Amino acid sequence: METLSLLSMGFEQALTPEALLFCFIGVSLGTFIGVLPGIGSLTTIALCLPLTFHLEPLLGLIMLAGIFYGAQYGSSTASILLNVPGSAPAAITCLDGYPMSRQGRAGIALFITTIASFIGGSFAILLLIFFAPVLAEFAISFSAADYFSIMLLALTAASTLSVGSPLKGLAMVSLGLLMGMVGTDINSGQFRYTFGIPALADGINLVALAMGLFGVAEILNNLAAGNVPQAGKEKISFKQMLPTPEDWRAFRFSCLRGSFIGSFIGMLPGTGPTIATFMAYAAEKKLSKTPEKFGHGAVAGISAPEAANNASVQAAFIPTLTLGVPGDAIMAVMLGGLLIHGITPGPQLVTTDAALFWGVVASFWIGNIILLILNLPMIGLWVKLLSIPYRFLFPAVLFLICIGVYSVNNNSTDVLLTLVFGIMGFYFNRHGFPSAPLLLGFVLGPLMEENFRRALVLSDSSLATFVDRPISAVFLAMTAVLLVFSFRRKATLTDDKVQLAP
Amino acid sequence: MISVLRLFTLMLLAISLAGCGSEDNVTAGGADTWPDKPVRIIIPFGPGGLADVTMRLAGEPLGELLGERLVMENRPGAGGVAAATTMLNADADGYTLIVLTNGTTITETLFDDLPYNITEDLVPVSAVAWFDLVLLVNPDSGFTDLQALLEARGDNLRIATINPGSTQNLSAELFKSLASNNATIIPYRTTPDVLGALLRGEVDLAIDAYTALKGAIDNNQARPIAVTGEVRNPAMPDIPTAVEAGITGFVVTGWNALYARTGTDPAIIDRLNADIASVLATDDIRTRFAELGVEARANTPQEMQQRFLSDIEKWRRVIEAAGIETL
Repeated sequence: METLSLLSMGFEQALTPEALLFCFIGVSLGTFIGVLPGIGSLTTIALCLPLTFHLEPLLGLIMLAGIFYGAQYGSSTASILLNVPGSAPAAITCLDGYPMSRQGRAGIALFITTIASFIGGSFAILLLIFFAPVLAEFAISFSAADYFSIMLLALTAASTLSVGSPLKGLAMVSLGLLMGMVGTDINSGQFRYTFGIPALADGINLVALAMGLFGVAEILNNLAAGNVPQAGKEKISFKQMLPTPEDWRAFRFSCLRGSFIGSFIGMLPGTGPTIATFMAYAAEKKLSKTPEKFGHGAVAGISAPEAANNASVQAAFIPTLTLGVPGDAIMAVMLGGLLIHGITPGPQLVTTDAALFWGVVASFWIGNIILLILNLPMIGLWVKLLSIPYRFLFPAVLFLICIGVYSVNNNSTDVLLTLVFGIMGFYFNRHGFPSAPLLLGFVLGPLMEENFRRALVLSDSSLATFVDRPISAVFLAMTAVLLVFSFRRKATLTDDKVQLAP
Repeated sequence: MISVLRLFTLMLLAISLAGCGSEDNVTAGGADTWPDKPVRIIIPFGPGGLADVTMRLAGEPLGELLGERLVMENRPGAGGVAAATTMLNADADGYTLIVLTNGTTITETLFDDLPYNITEDLVPVSAVAWFDLVLLVNPDSGFTDLQALLEARGDNLRIATINPGSTQNLSAELFKSLASNNATIIPYRTTPDVLGALLRGEVDLAIDAYTALKGAIDNNQARPIAVTGEVRNPAMPDIPTAVEAGITGFVVTGWNALYARTGTDPAIIDRLNADIASVLATDDIRTRFAELGVEARANTPQEMQQRFLSDIEKWRRVIEAAGIETL
């Protein structure tokens, strides 16, 4: 088979000592910055980009890509241990990862997320190897109407994200949608809700919002409650890290579903891993026979989003490498890195620069294996982090959050906003308003509005476009089924209010 | 555990030192000793973009000539307002410079109350890079000629560009007023989105920088049918200029230029200007820029100033003719 011989050529490229070294540097750096709250892969990749000017293109790309997917491995660590997400996509992992940690199952949670990351990443790499051109064509065929309908499905599924009062969940989604409107309107170029603050002209910074609502709010919570979490009194043995047979059962299919959802969302340009992880979580909760366990340490609640997270970042390479259409800012920076070397990604890259293409693809897998080897032994160490007295830990975490948020746009207003969101998040937690739906509304809102309006412009203002386009119609139908399903469930289970302990 | 903690502390130290470094404001001597510390260049865009890449490419040999490192600082956002605000907080000592683009001349008209006045607060040092926009169609559409496209699509012509207020979008407005009064301009968030729209065939025409879509052109995903420069683009000698294709007056050339604070010692500006000119004249830089579809060409501060003012006037007319509300 031709693909396999090309792949083995790729492995030859990726297994040279230099390639292995740069892969190792990339993924180690990625894991490290992934663990640090707020400091994201975009900043790190941007900082490392000039270094690659002097490297061979393959080595440079291997390293930059390693930072990108390596960061996804680390990002759930702080979510699970401290309830402070390492990056915005990992915010959803707080919901069940942190309760697991409070139940003394932090080692198991970290073990599961590492394995889920590996499976999610590998799933998307397999898609990239065998189906990249076809999938890229499929992904690019999604037009504005199709995007809108997918987002609508995601938003409907999001109603399940909240534990407790559905009304409060709805209120938070709406608030998220409103906050997503802040910034420059893409259609008219007008500023909306910016109150003359230049930092808001490009909208609220996602990292600032996620770090404020989840990170800063959690620290305030702990300080106000006075019951500072303490753990890690004894050494974690390897046995304590191993999931129980029951955990494995919950893990198996949730991880696969997460990989699938993540790959699908990841290869659509313009969506990103945050939508992927939130959708994967919502889907698991909808499909679960025991949705009431979610929010209280459900294994599926961490394995699905983690698999989705890694699948989505690997799948993002599908349109980038095969069509030259980067899905997000990070992919665009990497494309820029290739352009500097005179390499233009596109349909011909696979044939004209076959060694580069297959070398990079092979390095993804090598990188994921390195990450697995790197991360499993680290689990015991990370759990030890909890034994650091909170009075030392929380200023350090706050400090890192501030640096991380600042580094996104080199903008100090973002740091102030993070603190404001932190106080908001603290208030929300106190009164049982869930923050996750807000974050999802915030991410989806602008995309929905933009695509809704664009779909209407393209169809000469005919709403029929949403059902005429087959892809859009399928997603609308799925949304309808989901709604009917939810109402029937509500009717049978009138009293499924589960109160989240504050 | 101890070693991890130590590593952690070292990391923090490194990060905070890196942070302090950029805020360093040691008072330096006059023009004769300049530069005796690294020179900061503020780039109003994120890394990887055209302005960033060209500046970093030219920055390296320029730093060698000056005998000090050039430190690039990306300040994206708010149409360059964030970058300009940073610039105006710096001293007029030649140690902080900023990259301005033709986009700045649009912002001048588009934003009513900017917290600064570029023409008073900043002085030009030299242009660095010049580039065309390209008019592109989907190769499957069969069109090879701009006039044929205009005739075939008539009032239904759909043009994809990036966001309102960008050079690309206002160029589409200019094109509309000159060639196709009833065309619909559809704004997309990013250049890849514009390319996607063209690939799907949901628009007839895309207008964007040559650099950004060079890959798509080389891969025959998009077909250029005209360029907006005054002369043909050397990378595509067969493609006519828009004027040659019959759209009289449709000329747009984008540029990146280096600016300093007003009040900077003229000797420093002259030194910088001369060094930039010699860097941009080297074969290495010319070829590397050309690979990106960009022309490396310096000019004098006076020429740059004239260009800036005439571009402001040009886009003011476009903005007024298109009836775009200022902010």
